[in-house]
Amino acid sequence: MQSAEHTIKPNAIPRRSFLNLAFFSSLALLLAQSLAALVKFLKPVPSGGFGGEVYAGRVDEFTVGSVNRVLAGRFYLVRTEEGLLALWQRCTHLGCSVPWVDAEAQFHCPCHGSLFNNLGEVTGGPAPRPLDIFPISIRNGEVWVDTGKPIQRSRFDAGQVTRA
Amino acid sequence: MPTWIESITRSRLWRSFFRHGWPDNPLDRSLVMTSNIFFHLHPVKMNRKSLRVTYSFGLGVMVVIVFGILSLTGLLLMFYYTPAIEHAYSNVVRLQTQVPFGQLLRNLHRWGAHLMVILVVLHMARVFYTGAYKPPREFNWVVGVVLLLLTLGASFTGYLLPWDQLAYWAITVGTSVAGYAPLVGSQARLFLLGGPEIGQEALTRFYALHVMLIPAAIVLVTSLHLWRVRKDGGLAANDAD
Amino acid sequence: MAQVPNKVAFPKDGAKTYSLVELVKGAPTVMVEKGPDNTVFSFPVVALLELLLVLGVSALLLLMSLARNAPLEEFANPTLTTDPAKAPWYFMGLQEMLEHGHPTLMAVVLPTVMVLFVMAIPYLDNDRRGSGRWFTSPRGRKLTWNTTLYALLAMPAFILLDNAFPPRELLRGMAPDFIAQFAIPAVVMGLIVAAPVLALRRQRPTMREVMLVLFTMLFVSAIVFTVTGFFFRGPGFRLYWPWDMPGGYSPFDNL
Repeated sequence: MQSAEHTIKPNAIPRRSFLNLAFFSSLALLLAQSLAALVKFLKPVPSGGFGGEVYAGRVDEFTVGSVNRVLAGRFYLVRTEEGLLALWQRCTHLGCSVPWVDAEAQFHCPCHGSLFNNLGEVTGGPAPRPLDIFPISIRNGEVWVDTGKPIQRSRFDAGQVTRA
Repeated sequence: MPTWIESITRSRLWRSFFRHGWPDNPLDRSLVMTSNIFFHLHPVKMNRKSLRVTYSFGLGVMVVIVFGILSLTGLLLMFYYTPAIEHAYSNVVRLQTQVPFGQLLRNLHRWGAHLMVILVVLHMARVFYTGAYKPPREFNWVVGVVLLLLTLGASFTGYLLPWDQLAYWAITVGTSVAGYAPLVGSQARLFLLGGPEIGQEALTRFYALHVMLIPAAIVLVTSLHLWRVRKDGGLAANDAD
Repeated sequence: MAQVPNKVAFPKDGAKTYSLVELVKGAPTVMVEKGPDNTVFSFPVVALLELLLVLGVSALLLLMSLARNAPLEEFANPTLTTDPAKAPWYFMGLQEMLEHGHPTLMAVVLPTVMVLFVMAIPYLDNDRRGSGRWFTSPRGRKLTWNTTLYALLAMPAFILLDNAFPPRELLRGMAPDFIAQFAIPAVVMGLIVAAPVLALRRQRPTMREVMLVLFTMLFVSAIVFTVTGFFFRGPGFRLYWPWDMPGGYSPFDNL
């Protein structure tokens, strides 16, 4: 007993505390690992469907000033003087589908009354930003819209319009 | 007591079930409460003050009763429901039009869910206005708030299951709200819906939450809630002078 | 171990079968002079009361279910939003709040603050006195009803005024969204809720009375917002009288 006591350094951690620390830190690590695995398990796996390239029609079908609904792509194709704009119909406020109301000549959201003009700019209501847009590519006079890459914007500018 | 009843209640079989005699005396009336799993939540004797109708209005007990009715009707509805977007709606239509008492069962479940939310809110108001949250009952009040949130969660996840226009847009609006929470908002919404928009994944997740996870949590937390009521000395009315 | 002297406090009399062992200080355990026993046996009294409640609640639900069918609309259509699109009724208070300010404020910050406040009530008011009595005192009862009346006037007034002169629309393009949709509604609503507490300061309220006022304020406001959103919002989420909705819409379709 006497000699054993002398071999212990004065600042050494007692065996009991060391084992306690080792045990409880392993337990915490195990829990953290399981939690991380659970989060990874619950994270949605990407699937197909709406989100690919959608054919909207031929360029000359869309007259200047018209707002055309493309059901399959869940967007509106707007033809202005300068070109084309594909507006996602999902309201930036709470996700409702925003219909174009011909009588009012604007987008009018039924959920909370957000209003957007034909460029998707907010003209009234609680929506915090303009309607999101999708990139457009024109090949051989055909309009293709990539619904997988919605673009959020804080205001409208001319660069968002695809020339046609 | 007729002798034939006595011969039954004195048999070894009967006494292996019930460890108390006929409850016509104080001892056996106490044993009914302490030796029965369903009654043992109650004390043997209760203060008349805590039984006054105008004190508690029986709201907490009614919540437990409605939850029982919801569990029962919900279980029966599961026999006719498939959580798939191609089948969910037609299953509900079939339940209402072809299954005997199907419409009644769905009505009971729907109105029961609304009633439970109302009763939970009223119960909370009752506990607050009678000052029953005061020490030593602070923690049980917090447990109660958790139960209110679980009740709302149970009702909200069930709202999507009929897969009609009402369900779809109510849940769209409801879950978009989550997206505004700073930092974690859009991720929380993604985990809840299983994708960027409401679809099959959302229906699957809401179904699992609605029929299993949230009810199990409600049972567990309610056990804690009732256990704490007993540990903290029953209803606060007992302490009032 | 230290040596404890084996002293006998109460020596036993060998001729007696009983002896004094120890003196215990404290209240007697017998119910002498404590008033009549005011308890009843849980069985069968409480058991029967609960059975009656089971029957009563079941009968009520059965009547409701016979009187009215649960709603079922058309098959879900992600491309066509119903007009109006409403959340379940117990979230209509939230949806109504969303109409009056930025979503982060109305749907995240304020509800979180409210839930945290409600959870914290017993830790803010930890005085054991007055527990188990409705409103604790006559003054508490009076305060509660006055606050209810005030909230029933102030909150509808706020909703109507904000609806008639929305800062969001009046200041659109003039002030940043943060001011119009976040700062102004937060300050206005905060003042409406805090006003009765400030008015009470002169009377030196107890913590319980402050809680009564604040909880009543939140509780009644939540009811006002829920009722407004559920009964008074029609197509386009505009305000209408519940019996005068355009397009054949009825608020009860959304139950």
